[in-house]
Amino acid sequence: MPEDDLADEASHLTIDGDNPNGDDIGFAAKRLAHEARKTLSSGGGSRGIRDVTQEFAAAAKLLQPGQLVKDEYFTLFEAVGALEIMDPKMDSGYVPPGDTLEPDFDVCKGLPAEQVLWIMDELLRLTAVWHDGYPLSQTIFTSLHVDRLLSPDNRPPYHLFYGDTALLVMTTEQRLVHIVLRAYCIALVKSCALVLHTIQSQNFYEEEDFVTHLFGRELLPSTGANDAVKLIDEAVKFLDGADVDKVMRTALLERLQFARTYISLLVSDSADWNTLAAMGRSAETHKLAQPILEAFSDKVQRQLATSTPPRPMIIISWDEALERWKAICADIVEADRLTCFDVCQSPHALHRAIWAFAYREPQPNTFARAYLQTILFASEQITEGMAFFDLMLTDMRDLVLAGDVLVDPHSFLVEIPSDPRHKCSRIVETFMDKAFDEYMNLYRMVCQNRCRIRRTFTQSVAIFDSLETEAMRTDAELDGITPGIVLAGEDGPGNVTLTPLTSWVKYYKLQTMAWTIQLGFETDIYLPHELSMMYWYLMVFARRERKLLEHIERFLAARQKTFVSSRDARQDDEAAASQEWLAVLHKQADFTALLSSALWQVSELLMTLCILQPAKRDYAQEQLLYDVRMKSYLGIAHDPIPTLEEYKSATQSDRSIEDTCNNINGTIADAKSCLAYMKKTTPEQGKYIGTGEQWKREIKQLETTCVAVAVQTSQLRRVADKHGKLLGAPRDQSLKGAVEVSIPPAGSRYHDWWVVPQIREKKT
Amino acid sequence: MSGTSKNAAIDGPSENAPPPKFNGELNVHYISYGSEKESSYLPAIRQLISKDLSEPYSIYVYRYFLYQWGDLCFMALDEDRNALLGVIVCKLEPHRGGPLRGYIAMLATRSEYRGRGIATKLVRLAVEKMIEKDADEIALETEVTNTPSLRIYENLGFLRTKRLHRYYLNGSTAFRLLLYLKPGIPFKPTFPPEFPAGYGEGHGQISQDGQGSVDEQQVERQVARMGIEEDVYGERFDVTGQ
Repeated sequence: MPEDDLADEASHLTIDGDNPNGDDIGFAAKRLAHEARKTLSSGGGSRGIRDVTQEFAAAAKLLQPGQLVKDEYFTLFEAVGALEIMDPKMDSGYVPPGDTLEPDFDVCKGLPAEQVLWIMDELLRLTAVWHDGYPLSQTIFTSLHVDRLLSPDNRPPYHLFYGDTALLVMTTEQRLVHIVLRAYCIALVKSCALVLHTIQSQNFYEEEDFVTHLFGRELLPSTGANDAVKLIDEAVKFLDGADVDKVMRTALLERLQFARTYISLLVSDSADWNTLAAMGRSAETHKLAQPILEAFSDKVQRQLATSTPPRPMIIISWDEALERWKAICADIVEADRLTCFDVCQSPHALHRAIWAFAYREPQPNTFARAYLQTILFASEQITEGMAFFDLMLTDMRDLVLAGDVLVDPHSFLVEIPSDPRHKCSRIVETFMDKAFDEYMNLYRMVCQNRCRIRRTFTQSVAIFDSLETEAMRTDAELDGITPGIVLAGEDGPGNVTLTPLTSWVKYYKLQTMAWTIQLGFETDIYLPHELSMMYWYLMVFARRERKLLEHIERFLAARQKTFVSSRDARQDDEAAASQEWLAVLHKQADFTALLSSALWQVSELLMTLCILQPAKRDYAQEQLLYDVRMKSYLGIAHDPIPTLEEYKSATQSDRSIEDTCNNINGTIADAKSCLAYMKKTTPEQGKYIGTGEQWKREIKQLETTCVAVAVQTSQLRRVADKHGKLLGAPRDQSLKGAVEVSIPPAGSRYHDWWVVPQIREKKT
Repeated sequence: MSGTSKNAAIDGPSENAPPPKFNGELNVHYISYGSEKESSYLPAIRQLISKDLSEPYSIYVYRYFLYQWGDLCFMALDEDRNALLGVIVCKLEPHRGGPLRGYIAMLATRSEYRGRGIATKLVRLAVEKMIEKDADEIALETEVTNTPSLRIYENLGFLRTKRLHRYYLNGSTAFRLLLYLKPGIPFKPTFPPEFPAGYGEGHGQISQDGQGSVDEQQVERQVARMGIEEDVYGERFDVTGQ
């Protein structure tokens, strides 16, 4: 900000409240402006301390208690970031009486091998904690050796000692510090820089996922990764000939090798992270290390630039740290496997792969998720020969237009302007441009934390809806050039066309809507009394998706009839593969509709019988609760969601408990047969190449869920029977007090997307 | 609010053993903070709220709310001993240029006096006042593990709208809770947040110098930044508003 404007701004500070000392305040403000100008024009200024107590006290005396000098742009954000100087809870520069500003430790002194080993392991532990999302100021920067290397007073080549007092003749212990420990520290710091670069070039959420703050320090900018590796190699050479105990030497070499492998992996595109995982052997020699706690200190935070105080830290043990490292390596290896060439040929398979990655236990950390995003999005293409454009086109082809010339890649190469293929291709390209961001988000956002996946998708719904308008317009334009197949209407009189782009957008819109509900169950967004309504809506969305798929399948069948049999086997293969896959999607939508129907009926029954009841809620109004809950879906213009009234009129509270239970059981039986079908589906048919294990596991979880629903239903039936209420209308009954219900929290469900209420008879 | 769990003071006990529950007769008197900016209660309010938090807010945070919305702050006092038993701090302003949103920023009850409905009463007073001032909706955040707090609000009609991953400085996750007071709120137009939710062509979330990425706060900061930039380009801004 230009200096004069800052001074000008200072002179425009306003005063709130009464103003009896108007002139004095005006004077004080002008003086402040003058001082500001002077300070800024004195050429940057030098570091030093100046006691302003007298001036400050004199200025403060000019204000009455209750008078506030408030800049218009001093926001809540600024207020929360403000700190009170000398309050130890806020002022991290505060030095308690009797304490020293800086830690009292000579980083240049020589150390025995056991202590150097401990420092190296401690840094390894702290790096694992940093990976978990804790700031550098409380992890790696607390190492006094690292602090010295990164000190603003230090210069390349970043030695621990300053100036010319280089220790030309060093003892072994000094060399262990200045050659071995130094090389290790430099390699770890450069590795941090590489990790940060990966994370910051992709999507993540600051503070939620990771803290990228460097606190005013630079990460050895004049030293490259290759320089760091060279230093490690020199250190290894030194150790090989050094006068050090054999076991210690091996231990130290292991640490150096770890650091070397780590940084090499970060620099190289195609390297095996399994090699790093194999270094878990380091655990055994750790017990030989001798703690030297003075080599680390929180006092470094006093000199780091920050606007937040230190946060509460987790303490993880050495063993836990090693587990973290192993998990990071395993995740990276899996990320490579899941995005292999074969998987990337199918957008849907890739999609499944990303979801599978996101749902690994424990969830991959920010770096691993950024690594996956880098593989897919860092270059212009998903994989060799599959540009983003190709991915999207293949998606359209697989889902709605298999075998159709409209999305045949060759159509896009036709150059004759009058050729309908050329015209249509340009129109399709324009549409794809518009849909591009939101389509890629379907992949990218699954790499974020679970809460953010849901939050993004709730926003995507509205975007897909407006894309649908665009799609409808585009479909009409395309139909004008190359009329599509016309079939008799599915519901009423009149004819219908495929409207391929509209169908494509609709599919993802419905899928996203379903995901927001499923993720809502997973993240405990819905209260127990909301289960009924949310399952009902999930059922509605799934049924709509099924209907849409039927519409697409009809037109695929009609299109297949138009294929000239002698011509192109490719067309037939493409259409056949699409047909098989659509059948699988159809079954999946069916399953979701059935299971949600069953759970809707269960939840509703529990409510009608007064077993599950919301609290009194004085400030709640039914329609307004509905508005809060369904807000993301209310703006949908195309196929608006059913209203609250429509939901209420779908109630089954007239049906007897016995009939409802029978119906639920029938629904569950149908759901199970869907699962049986999916069990027999091959990876090619279901497009789950690369995620076979996850496919099987999920089916198992869903089977268990179905069984659980049946079990709880029979529980309820048994109790109702016992009280003689099996046959009457539930609306007139109550089992309140006879039954208690509990809702399993996420993490203890058979499948986290499905909440099965646990029903228990209350013992009298 | 981000930073720390503002409802920490109605959480379970803090690190040290909590003082024993007060079991005697209690005469609780509820009053509004009112329009006196530097009320004599301010130090007690600060002390009560910061007591169980891992790091306190500066005086500016309290002034931000109490100077502008002193009538939305309510205190529970022990009438006999004139001690502060509980406090609620709120604000009320248009949310992104759209609905008038009440926001409950802080709620605290002294641990010895919990379980008596004081917190619920304070929330009711605040909600009633906001309704009186024509609020369209009321929002707040609270830790996912803060069951007493969740129960208070959900028993009044609040619903969970979002889960906020690692929202607080100590890494705990929060729920956003929302209560609509009037119909038609979802259809009231609002400005989008200045920093969109982070998706786009491979750009990471912009680092906010250590602060949490709370929508509310990000908007205000960006609005503030925009204002300053106008100033730089020579427009004289009269901050006294005359």
